[in-house]
Amino acid sequence: MQTTLLHTDPTIQLALLAVLIPFAVALVNLFLVKNQSKVSGWLGTLAILISFVLSAVVFSRVWNVGDLHSQWLWFTAGKLQVGAGVWLNNLSVLMLLLVTGIALPVHIYSIAYMQGDEKYSRYFAYLGFFCFAMLGLVVVDNLLLLYMFWELVGFASYLLIGFWFTREKAVQANKKAFIMNRIGDVALLSGILILYADFHTFNMVTLFDNHATAAFVNAADSTWITLPGICFLIGAMAKSAQFPLHTWLPDAMEGPTSISALIHAATMVAAGIFLLGRVYVMFSPDVLTLMACIGCFTAFMAATIALTQNDLKRILAYSTISQLGFMMMAMGVGAYSSGLLHLATHAFFKCLLFLAAGVIIHQMQHLKDEHQLDIDAQDINNMGGMRKGMPVTFVTCVVASLALIGFPFTSGCLSKDGIMVQAFYWAEGKSWPHFIVPVTALLTSLLTIFYISRLLFKVFFGEAKIKEMVPNLKTVGHDGGWLFSLPMIFLALCSLFPLFSFHPFDYSEAWIVQGFGIAVKAAGSISYETLVALTVNIFGIAIVYLAYTLYISRSRAIKQSGFLFKLSYHEWYIDWFYHRVIIKDVLRIGSVLSWVDRNIFDGIIHLFGSVSIFIGKITAWIDKYLIDGFINLLVTVVKQAGNFVRGFQTGRVQAYLLSMLLLIVVIYVLKTFM
Amino acid sequence: MITLTNFLLIGAGLFAIGIYMVLAKRNAIQVLIGIEFILNAAILNLVAFGKYDKLYNSGQTFALFAIVLAGAAAAVALAIILNVYKQYKTIDPNKVEKLKD
Repeated sequence: MQTTLLHTDPTIQLALLAVLIPFAVALVNLFLVKNQSKVSGWLGTLAILISFVLSAVVFSRVWNVGDLHSQWLWFTAGKLQVGAGVWLNNLSVLMLLLVTGIALPVHIYSIAYMQGDEKYSRYFAYLGFFCFAMLGLVVVDNLLLLYMFWELVGFASYLLIGFWFTREKAVQANKKAFIMNRIGDVALLSGILILYADFHTFNMVTLFDNHATAAFVNAADSTWITLPGICFLIGAMAKSAQFPLHTWLPDAMEGPTSISALIHAATMVAAGIFLLGRVYVMFSPDVLTLMACIGCFTAFMAATIALTQNDLKRILAYSTISQLGFMMMAMGVGAYSSGLLHLATHAFFKCLLFLAAGVIIHQMQHLKDEHQLDIDAQDINNMGGMRKGMPVTFVTCVVASLALIGFPFTSGCLSKDGIMVQAFYWAEGKSWPHFIVPVTALLTSLLTIFYISRLLFKVFFGEAKIKEMVPNLKTVGHDGGWLFSLPMIFLALCSLFPLFSFHPFDYSEAWIVQGFGIAVKAAGSISYETLVALTVNIFGIAIVYLAYTLYISRSRAIKQSGFLFKLSYHEWYIDWFYHRVIIKDVLRIGSVLSWVDRNIFDGIIHLFGSVSIFIGKITAWIDKYLIDGFINLLVTVVKQAGNFVRGFQTGRVQAYLLSMLLLIVVIYVLKTFM
Repeated sequence: MITLTNFLLIGAGLFAIGIYMVLAKRNAIQVLIGIEFILNAAILNLVAFGKYDKLYNSGQTFALFAIVLAGAAAAVALAIILNVYKQYKTIDPNKVEKLKD
């Protein structure tokens, strides 16, 4: 790979164009297009389509061909020369394609979904801006620029989560998302600065390209390599919603559903995993172990929470957190390529699930308004029997769910099984506690089967609960227009195995895995491939049957008062803990500081003020009575003396004579007697 | 016998009266008369001290000159007074205060 100048390489220019077009159109939508104009939707879609095509061209030229790097001087500060540029390698072109590939169906879907919204154009402006920020993030070659786009992604998601800002909950949610991400941002920035202190450069090619790993390898046990690794990890944890910074993601449901789809699939949360992939060579073994533990725990925790939630979007949100946990765990156990494969496959089926959820909620809302029911449109307890009315949604949803489970012949099977198998290989040969990670992952994937079956059964099967309230209702819901169906069918096709591998079972055959290097395939004593596949599928069928008996035939029931149920239902009391302990304490510290500020600091200032005023008054008094008084005295004396002397100047001859006489007498007396 | 002291006392008295008139009178003629008193006091002193110069009688001689001079001066002064009267329609020296700035 060689560094080229910008104007010499057409591929780099195409990549830049792919990044900038959504931004340009976002500006046009924001400032030029009339609000609520239909044009903005199509304009945004067209922009992302062009961007998608350009990304595909760039992808075909870079993938497995060779990295491209181009930069020009950005600024010089002292001896430091900071360049800004584009670094295209396999990872970034994959992300380019993925982001635009997910954003395109989301745009098309949004045209229909946001129809009639009073801020229609603004929505597309924000959406374009969001895509721009994410695309910028994946191509830049400089840590400062990376941080800038990282913040822009956060800011764009803030705008979109709080899109309906008249709702109190949306405002709370976007603030929460922004503040929790801020924690990660601070860590990321600290990491960047520590790296700068270590290596005196912000250039990511110098730091993280495979040829330049020597610096990290030689210093692998140094604290100053581990520490920035942890900082980057915390940054990624906040963005990718990992425990303990995950609570913003379920609340981010307050945005439009299409935005949730984008956030959960390709833009916001993918940024964290992407960052880990981009700087992967930096992580020392300790950090990787930590990463694996966090990912594994998050995956498990989120899956248990998803078991009992009733809000459709909330279940999906926790499912996303769980899947992101899988990706992070994959990164941690060294299954780098499988982690990224899972990022790509998950993007398609999770986006699809959200779009489907959007349609379902849309229909429920419609029914609710039509019959004036007092129900929560997102509560899955109110749904049921929807497969008849909306076949496209049903079928695509089932495909996506199978992919989520990791059912054979879906893309999820390739990526998820790969992660678990490699986790087992990672644990092998280490001490037994390491096996907790793959076993928990396996357990989590079984939990996944349960919660997604529960969701499917409750939403699509059985009798419509809504019919109990409205007895003469014929069918519940319908699929909506082609603008809804087309993106969903497209995403459903992308959730099947052929897009990623021609071999439906062997993850190491997938082109993404091969593009990122060979997967770990040590010769273990047990064939973990078989173990994982058998466990997931055999137990999976049992679990689906269990869910069926619970929710459809109702031959069983769960006690809804047990400790575990409550723990799951209340989301492990993490939000409760944050509110009760952290937020309360922070607020208390805040109020103490405010008190100190108001009473002590302000008091000192006020004291200074009063003393100054007092001194001022004294000075004024001295000025008025002493200094002015002295001057006035002088003036008076001079005036009186003048007046006195004037008295002699009468103009009368006799008076002058008298004066002369007196003077002579005085001189005579003085001369004679003294 | 009339001694020198008597002459001097009379001269001093004349002088004092003259001074008083010059300073106090509201009539220029009277002021002029006061000036004459002063002159005569001086002349009296000249004559009185003249007895110590029996050889040349310079005191008496000087007195004659002074008398003539006084007469001339009185003429000039009267002329001035006449002109002052023409100018100011008064001969009260207090009312003539053009010297005041």
